[in-house]
Amino acid sequence: MAATLVFVSVLVFVVIRVLPGDPALIILGLEASPDAIARIRSSLGLDQPVPVQYLRWVGRALTGDLGRSIQYDVSVSSLILSRLHVTLPLTLLAGGFMVLAAVPLGVFAATRHRRWGDYLTMVLSQLGIAVPGFWAGLLLILLFSVKLGWVQAGGFDGWGAGVWPALRSLLLPAVALGLFQFAVLARTTRSAVLEVLREEYVKTARAKGVAEGCVLFRHALSNAMIPVLTVAGIQLGQLIAGSIILESVFYLPGLGRLALGAINARDLPVVQGVVLFVASLIVMINVAVDILYGFLDPRIRYE
Amino acid sequence: MKRLALVGLALALVAAAAPPAAAQQGGSLVVQVATEPPGLDLTTNPSSAIAAVIFYNVQEALVKVDKHGKLVPWLAERWYTTDSKNYTFFLRKGVRFHNGREVKAADIKFALDRAVNPETKHPYRVQYENIQDVIVKDDYTISVTLKRPEANFLWTVARQGSVIYPREAVESLKTQPLGTGPYLLSEWVRGDRVVLTRNKDYWQKGLPHLDKVTFRFIADPNSALAALKSGDIDVSGFGLGPESVGELKKDGRYQVIVGDTTNDVTLSMNNSKKPYSDRRVRLAITHAINKEEVLKGAMFGYGKILGSNVDPLNPYYLDVSKRVPYDPAKAKKLLAEAGLPNGFDAVFKVAPQYYYTVRSAEVIVNQLAKVGIRAKIQQVEWGQWLSQVFCLKPCENPDYDMSIIGHAEEWDIGNFANPKYYFRWDNAEFQKLFKDSESAVDDKKRRELYVKMQNMLADEAPAVWLYMHPRLVVTKKGVTGIWKDLPIPSFDLTEVAWQK
Repeated sequence: MAATLVFVSVLVFVVIRVLPGDPALIILGLEASPDAIARIRSSLGLDQPVPVQYLRWVGRALTGDLGRSIQYDVSVSSLILSRLHVTLPLTLLAGGFMVLAAVPLGVFAATRHRRWGDYLTMVLSQLGIAVPGFWAGLLLILLFSVKLGWVQAGGFDGWGAGVWPALRSLLLPAVALGLFQFAVLARTTRSAVLEVLREEYVKTARAKGVAEGCVLFRHALSNAMIPVLTVAGIQLGQLIAGSIILESVFYLPGLGRLALGAINARDLPVVQGVVLFVASLIVMINVAVDILYGFLDPRIRYE
Repeated sequence: MKRLALVGLALALVAAAAPPAAAQQGGSLVVQVATEPPGLDLTTNPSSAIAAVIFYNVQEALVKVDKHGKLVPWLAERWYTTDSKNYTFFLRKGVRFHNGREVKAADIKFALDRAVNPETKHPYRVQYENIQDVIVKDDYTISVTLKRPEANFLWTVARQGSVIYPREAVESLKTQPLGTGPYLLSEWVRGDRVVLTRNKDYWQKGLPHLDKVTFRFIADPNSALAALKSGDIDVSGFGLGPESVGELKKDGRYQVIVGDTTNDVTLSMNNSKKPYSDRRVRLAITHAINKEEVLKGAMFGYGKILGSNVDPLNPYYLDVSKRVPYDPAKAKKLLAEAGLPNGFDAVFKVAPQYYYTVRSAEVIVNQLAKVGIRAKIQQVEWGQWLSQVFCLKPCENPDYDMSIIGHAEEWDIGNFANPKYYFRWDNAEFQKLFKDSESAVDDKKRRELYVKMQNMLADEAPAVWLYMHPRLVVTKKGVTGIWKDLPIPSFDLTEVAWQK
């Protein structure tokens, strides 16, 4: 876990510095004098060797100080925190939609193997994989906002306006964001359940006269959950990454849009901070998935 | 001959203050802008995204560029100069900053001295370098002495970098700018919106009309259009795609504003590189381009064909768009004369974040192919464009053949007098013409020099001026007072209102 974070932090630090575009010029403008540029570079620590810059940044990051945003002139940590009230619920909603829709559908398809229900599910999930999230988002806006007027086309007025209005403004983006992952997870669930249904112990259970529901959920699904959980864990990380585009389509002030704006403005501290934060989040999700394995399969134990 | 110029008896101002007949007092408005301002300080960042929101709405200057592109008295009710070297400004009395304090001459001196100071981060410091001395005569009178005559000095004090702010609030300009404008900054939710509220003590009685204005940042044109159609926003201020204009014009729920801007979409050539260093080749390229077709292909016909670097909103504008007309046969002849009868290979470096650059390049590549110029399009990220094409420091020599970008600055013909600018055009005669125009006190003489410069640019073709990027705004029916043209990048809401 620590090795992953160190690798990510080095990677993001180096990549950002390889990109063209000097933050000092972005602060001062194109007609800035060389003296002024040198002063700003010095105040940002950009005149130091890259390893020194890196060590300073990591040292401060360990104490929770991710630096100050160049364009907003506020601390990066506070910027990230201020965006979490959008991105976290959005990701959780999308993840919830993904799991709640994909798992039952996958099980349904597996039980209707090579029948119309299975084919329909496969066609739907193929569509979900083929349709890009941003386009699905625009279609959803056209239908539910422009034509039907049920929800707003985008934006987020905060939780202060009430839980339901806030959730309502996150619903469409969550569906658009989760669509691709839903499709992948539905197919994964279908294959995993199908595989388990072919096992001898399932045949035995059926031969013993165990009810089909019990066979399906107690014997088949619980055993199929390991690959499903593995994929879902990876997908949760991808949902956070996918929010960069969807937050732009729905103009939500979340972490993804913060990252995108910071990249365009060469706001190095913000880009570094967001990437490190998201990487930490994904590492934590993976750890949580590993722990959950133990609950799903008692044979798995960590020393 | 010395001349006495006494300008600005505030007549224009009285007219400006009169509310539109059917303007409703109160109400709120949500305006979409494509780009979030990178900070809110006009005096440390040249971004037009800051000007769109803050300039004229929150902060104002001594002189204002009005909706027709003309200079009008603003915080200075009049000014006086005899030689374009010594200027005296007389401040309007009773104008208060948002913190309640009255604007005094010391504030003007503070703002100008700060702009001149080499220690400052002022993005346009070079424009203020000509200021020698700023003297406070009394609380409402200030005189500025320049090192040499400068006919454009009033434009300098009218620019976004010349806003007047209370000197005690200088440290918080980046996040909480104070000024004298019709609106106060109420809230900046980073990444989402800026909210302005009505300044009840605004010095123009009866203005502004609106109680609250929200600038919402929506970069994607499709999202902006959807937000308008679903009623989330009232005005799409920047970023409306020309492909949507026709459909919206037919829809009775909206009104579309198509106006002029100072944004000259320019095909740049690297004049320091062969074959672009040869005037005949540059002229051949100009003759090979059918600008009408480019305008149709890239902008659905919205915009105006240009022939030089001066935009139609400039008082010295001269239409030279027909001086080097579309003539492929002549282009081929010129190429043959330049020793390139079989044409040559070229690369267009364009930044796709400005969609019109790619669209224009696609049309032009086909047109150039007809005269034997084999051009390819290479799309580069904006940061790369700035370092390779625009040649930002530490770049020494630009690395490009041809490119396309909109030059939005007003009065920017001086770029062609700068051999270090990324066009790398070095012409002593033009440089002298520009220098003379800067010190010309007499308007007639200055106009003549501008005419000469525009004709010379067309004839020398250091670049190809394609078209003026149009201003495209769409509003819900019932919104009044929005400027048709955009002579400066401000989205001025001073007189905007809902119709009764």
